[in-house]
Amino acid sequence: MTSHFGALTAFALLVSVVFGIITKNEPYEQFKYGAFVFVSFLLAAVLVGWIMYPLPL
Amino acid sequence: MLKGDSPNAPADSAQNFTVGVGKSVVLKPQSPAMTAAACVGGLLVPGLGHLLLGRWIRGVLLLASVLLMFVLGLAMHGALSSPPASGELVSFKTLNTFANVGVGLAYVITIGLGKGAGIPDSQTADYGWLFLVVAGLLNYLIVFDAFDIARGRKQ
Repeated sequence: MTSHFGALTAFALLVSVVFGIITKNEPYEQFKYGAFVFVSFLLAAVLVGWIMYPLPL
Repeated sequence: MLKGDSPNAPADSAQNFTVGVGKSVVLKPQSPAMTAAACVGGLLVPGLGHLLLGRWIRGVLLLASVLLMFVLGLAMHGALSSPPASGELVSFKTLNTFANVGVGLAYVITIGLGKGAGIPDSQTADYGWLFLVVAGLLNYLIVFDAFDIARGRKQ
C-alpha cells in the first residue's frame, strides 16, 4: 500500500463487495449497490479531505 | 420492522418472494443442524457458511474479501489484540479483541504463529489496525447473512 488514497481505495473496495453481497439478493442489484457504496466511500473521503484542508494540522 | 425480520419469525415453511417483474422464487429453510453448521462454519472461516449453503460465488467473494483485508492489515503492520486479563474485561481491549476474533481461524493461526504484534511506530500501523478490526466485524455481518439464508429469509 503506497499511499493513503491507495489504502482507502482498497478498504472501500473490500467493504463494498461485502456490503453488496449481504444486503441485496440479485447479482445485478448486488453489483449496483456495491458500486454505489464504493463510489460513496471515495467521494466522502475526498470531501472530508477538502474540508480538513484549511485546518492547521 | 417487518414480521419476517423478527428472530421469532417462523422458519418451517417455504416462502414466496417476488424478486423482479413476473419473477418469483421459493426460499426453502434449511434444517436447524444445517443452520448451525453454516453459522459456526462462517465464524471459523469467512464465507464458509455461504459455501455450505450452496452460494458458491458469494462464498468465494466473501472469503477473498475478508481474508485479503486481514492480510493487508497485517502487511500494514497493524496489531492484533489478545484477550484481556481478568481484571480489565471492561475495557477497549475487550472490544478490540472481539472485533479481531471475528475472522475466526485466521486470528487463531496468526496469534499461534507469534505474528500480529504489529509495529506501532510504522506510518501505516493505524490503517493496518483498522483493516484488522473491520475484517472481523464484517465477518460477523456475513454470519448473520448466512443465518438469514439458512432460515429462508433471504435468497
